[in-house]
Amino acid sequence: MSTTPHPIAPEEIMAHLDGELSLARAQSVSSHLDSCVECQAVVTSLRNTSHSLSSWSVAPAPVNTKFVEHLCADAAKVPSNLRRLIFEIFPSQRWKLLAASGVLVVLLITIAGFMGGRYDMSVRSSKLAAARRVAVDIARVNNKDGSREALESQLDSWSPPAAASANGSLGKLQAEEKAMKEVRDSYQTWIHNGPLIAHTVSLSLIAKDFDSSRASLDAILARHNGYSANLSVSTPQGAARSLQASLRIPAPQLSAALTELKSLGRVELENQNGEEVTQQHADLVARLKNSRETEQRLQAILTQRTGKISDVLEVEQEIARVRGEIEQMEAEQKNIEHRVDFATIDLKLSEEYKAKLDSPAPAISTLIHNAAVNGYRNVADTLLSIVLFFAEYGPILAFWLLALSIPAWLVWRRWRHATAAI
Amino acid sequence: MQDALPALVLNSEALPPAIMNDTPPTPAYPASPASDEHLMLAFSKGSAESFNELFLRYKQPIYGFFRRRTADPHHAEELSQETFLVLLRAASRYEPRALFRTYLYAIAFKILRAHRRKAAFRATFFGHPSTIPDPAKQDATESGLWVRRAVEKLDRIDREILLLREFEQLSYAEIAGLLQLPINTVRSRLFRARTALRNLLEPSSAAAPNNAAPSAEPTASPNAAQAIPQKGIRL
Repeated sequence: MSTTPHPIAPEEIMAHLDGELSLARAQSVSSHLDSCVECQAVVTSLRNTSHSLSSWSVAPAPVNTKFVEHLCADAAKVPSNLRRLIFEIFPSQRWKLLAASGVLVVLLITIAGFMGGRYDMSVRSSKLAAARRVAVDIARVNNKDGSREALESQLDSWSPPAAASANGSLGKLQAEEKAMKEVRDSYQTWIHNGPLIAHTVSLSLIAKDFDSSRASLDAILARHNGYSANLSVSTPQGAARSLQASLRIPAPQLSAALTELKSLGRVELENQNGEEVTQQHADLVARLKNSRETEQRLQAILTQRTGKISDVLEVEQEIARVRGEIEQMEAEQKNIEHRVDFATIDLKLSEEYKAKLDSPAPAISTLIHNAAVNGYRNVADTLLSIVLFFAEYGPILAFWLLALSIPAWLVWRRWRHATAAI
Repeated sequence: MQDALPALVLNSEALPPAIMNDTPPTPAYPASPASDEHLMLAFSKGSAESFNELFLRYKQPIYGFFRRRTADPHHAEELSQETFLVLLRAASRYEPRALFRTYLYAIAFKILRAHRRKAAFRATFFGHPSTIPDPAKQDATESGLWVRRAVEKLDRIDREILLLREFEQLSYAEIAGLLQLPINTVRSRLFRARTALRNLLEPSSAAAPNNAAPSAEPTASPNAAQAIPQKGIRL
């Protein structure tokens, strides 16, 4: 047995035989092999093992003529010009994927646009139908029979826009809308106020000079006869000041007031909303009129008829109930009219904050103290949360762990046996 | 007998490439009129003849690859067919970044792994794996059967590395890429597999090889190499 140290490891000899060494290293190994008997024995041993493996032969692959024919036929299929063109343009799979994604996005946008158009048409149809109902309701409220008949005849000549939506003809829908507009215009001359719209505007502004903007806001309100229903100013230390207000401006002056408000700073967000309350108002007016008539009839019964005390009391109770309803409806009507007369502007005015060097910064010791206290609280809260979690869910987790561990172990064991057998 | 020796011997002696039962000629061999890579590129441009040539060259090696790794020859045949079908469909995406045979064996290896996964799943949930008598016995000679049994006793990753090196003649780097192992691990495991196989095939010389190995260097015995971490893909 030799114990002579060798400069070359057996693994390296194997790598040399496999042709995996660099040229310089291979030359050195080769020269060592020429002179070392032990390493030559390693070479012989490795060669013998490799030679033994060569006796493991495999039978020739079976000839499956059907498959070969199928494969040859598939291979012979010349790629179409389109496929060749695609291959030339997009040689790699990544480019193909990118192009396909682009096409998909364009397709989705197109479909979304088409669906949006259809949605617009249906919305417009429903709005037209609602407008027609409103017109009929208001006509019913009014007692000007001559005008009402004229209006009804005009309305009857107008076909419902749902038909236009059903056949999908945008042109027809537009024609119907035009016809409806004509009816509405003629009706505008008949009723004195027109449709009742309650305007609501949300406005978010960033102002450079907060104080002057604040003063200008008051001036704008005074100029347009408006008022602030709610106003709050926040002035935190070391941060931007902000103002939040709910302004009420007379509806005819909304546009002008809005323009002036926008000049106070940079508009960050603007959202305008107009809620049509014509139908709601008309219903209220009709119900109010009926209730008043009922009250008058009850009053007449009370004054003209005589009867038992219980009947009189019952009539008085009924009068009180109707009176209550009337007052409630009158308040509601006033509220609606107020919403229509005065537009609401939800204004948020923020200051464009610039940090100042001379502003007193909190002391470092205070910051460290606060951070340490917060850190301690966080740790305590986390630990408490963990304890609470295990107290609440621990038993059920333990139960399921025990219940599932046995089948899981069985499956794992079978899986190991199966993989070992294959 | 030189022409029957596996790659290890042939590479060391700089002899012509292996002409084993199912080893394809390497691209450098002058007998091949066109390299595999050129043929594959030509096929990706529409040349059916190139594909036929590749099919003829690799039909037997791919069948041998699966036959040595599956018990059922029908499975081996099916998996070979699947490999060529995948190659056919993936032709337009082929980029000659590596040797064609590496690319082909990578496809075959993925198909083999998928087959093993399915078989393991079936065996786990629907019963034991098929106990069909191993038809490989009919393929191999008596000594071949002996070798096969010895190879089966090797560690799975060691066995795979040994087979890929000896029969598919992949380089260490190619094996490392295929099995997602470090190249040094491939070398260590290959040495361990060869040593273990020699001990299994020649029990009488089990004590001798370590004597023959240089004493000052760490000897890679099967037990010692157990410390190699189990990295790489699941086989």
